[in-house]
Amino acid sequence: MDINIPGKRETDMQPNQTRIGDRRPLEWGEFDPNRRRHLYVGMWAWLWQRISALAIIVLLALHITLTYQPWLQFLLLLAVTFHATLGLRVILLDFNLVNVKYQRALIWGLAGMGLVVFILIWKSIY
Amino acid sequence: MSTAQGNKRKFEVYRYDPTQGGEGHFDRFELPVQDETCTTILDVLIRLQKEQDPTLAFRYACRINMCGSCGMVINGREGLACKTNVSDFPGDQTITLRPLNHFPVVKDLVVDMGPFFQSYESCLPFFDPKEPRQEPAIIRPDSEERQTIGLATECIACGCCVSSCTMVNCHPSYAGPAPLNRAFTLLMDSRDGLYEQRLERALASCYHCRTEFNCTEVCPKEISCTRAIKHIQRLAMKDPFRRREPAPDAASQAGPAPAAAEAADSAADPEMSRRRFLTGLTVGIGATSTLLVGGVLASTFAGPALRRKPPHWIRVGGVDAFPVGEVSTVRLTYAETNGFYTQDLVKPILVWRQPQAPEFVAYSSTCTHLGCTVRWDANQRLFLCTCHGGAFNRDGSVKSGPPPRPLDRLALRIDNGNLLVKMV
Repeated sequence: MDINIPGKRETDMQPNQTRIGDRRPLEWGEFDPNRRRHLYVGMWAWLWQRISALAIIVLLALHITLTYQPWLQFLLLLAVTFHATLGLRVILLDFNLVNVKYQRALIWGLAGMGLVVFILIWKSIY
Repeated sequence: MSTAQGNKRKFEVYRYDPTQGGEGHFDRFELPVQDETCTTILDVLIRLQKEQDPTLAFRYACRINMCGSCGMVINGREGLACKTNVSDFPGDQTITLRPLNHFPVVKDLVVDMGPFFQSYESCLPFFDPKEPRQEPAIIRPDSEERQTIGLATECIACGCCVSSCTMVNCHPSYAGPAPLNRAFTLLMDSRDGLYEQRLERALASCYHCRTEFNCTEVCPKEISCTRAIKHIQRLAMKDPFRRREPAPDAASQAGPAPAAAEAADSAADPEMSRRRFLTGLTVGIGATSTLLVGGVLASTFAGPALRRKPPHWIRVGGVDAFPVGEVSTVRLTYAETNGFYTQDLVKPILVWRQPQAPEFVAYSSTCTHLGCTVRWDANQRLFLCTCHGGAFNRDGSVKSGPPPRPLDRLALRIDNGNLLVKMV
């Protein structure tokens, strides 16, 4: 669909000017010294779930090849707890089990719970 | 001059000249602001244009947070210039003004909102009544329907949510937060006649939301588009087997022609074939992993029972250690491996050395009645089971008591003067 936008018409131009045209859309965070100061916690939650998912793939492969390495078990358990916690957040929000207005509290609450579960599991193993 | 009074504030404004092209750059301005709590960013821009640079381009209309024309990125956060005060930022901080993301930049802070309204139209953002009415409809403010829609109707289409979203530029078929919010307000409206067509289109795009809440954080009207998108996603769950109408006649009558054409050639859309591929891939990966995990579990549970165990030949002792005509009890100690688990077993067996061939007979010490251990009673010359009083003769046959059959004999062989028995 071609929407007629006044600024795009050649008649708006001065006769001696040549119009190059619109700049391509600015990317998220492009040309913005303040963008990364304003990352919101919901976005971090999504990003870290992705990162932990990739970490689980790598750590799981290592865990199968190098069995019974405490440091590896620690990292894998941490990644799994983190991934599960953030996944639980999305499930709760998707099924409207928690009102979206508590989304920030949900992240910290679930992360705290995940940490407690993590410590309990780690204590029971070692 | 009066402008000399007040705190000098620093501003960085993104500049792009369509006659020059290029990437654009930031211009620095300094402006004394008398009362920061009463000066909006829009006031600053108007003054900068009047006093310092008349070529500065920006867009505004109402100046009172109603029209949504002056959406821009202010210090990294999307907002309306007319709603943001200079005092919202600490005095020493430089205020950075930048056009919205994901839209072509026409000049300076002015963006081409064409793509936004295109995706807005694709969600059929108009009300199409089921039945014509002469009188205005009466909507109770406390009705559940009205409460669910809530303030989502307050959207002024400023584009801040789309600019803050990190998914709209990655997925061409994603309509974005505001259009889906608009679709949500109409989908929830029971008077609306275009439910099916609108749901079809909204569902085709709403799963690109990654629940980041960026749109909710920046919305100047404090609408949660994430909430609206989640609602639409749940509508799919309500009736997954609903009848889908292939030809949206009502939409093509009432709606804009391009929107209907878009739906018609969605089959040829690379985004659709990509989705089909991803669906197939997901099903394939799911089936493979189910089979793998199921196979491992099944073999773990059923395997040990099915597996034929290799026979162990275990040394009982030297042939000479057994006195002729006597029954000796030997405690055999051996290791048995089952999968990953190795266990040490101790089992007594009974060996009778006869004077004539076959010289050796080895009995399992397990009573054939209920599995207690039998012992050799040298005085009675019987194998006795203390549990239920079973008694066996020296040749293994039942003498008295409940055992149903003679004692089990173990296979044995003599190798290099050693007696070996076969344990299973």
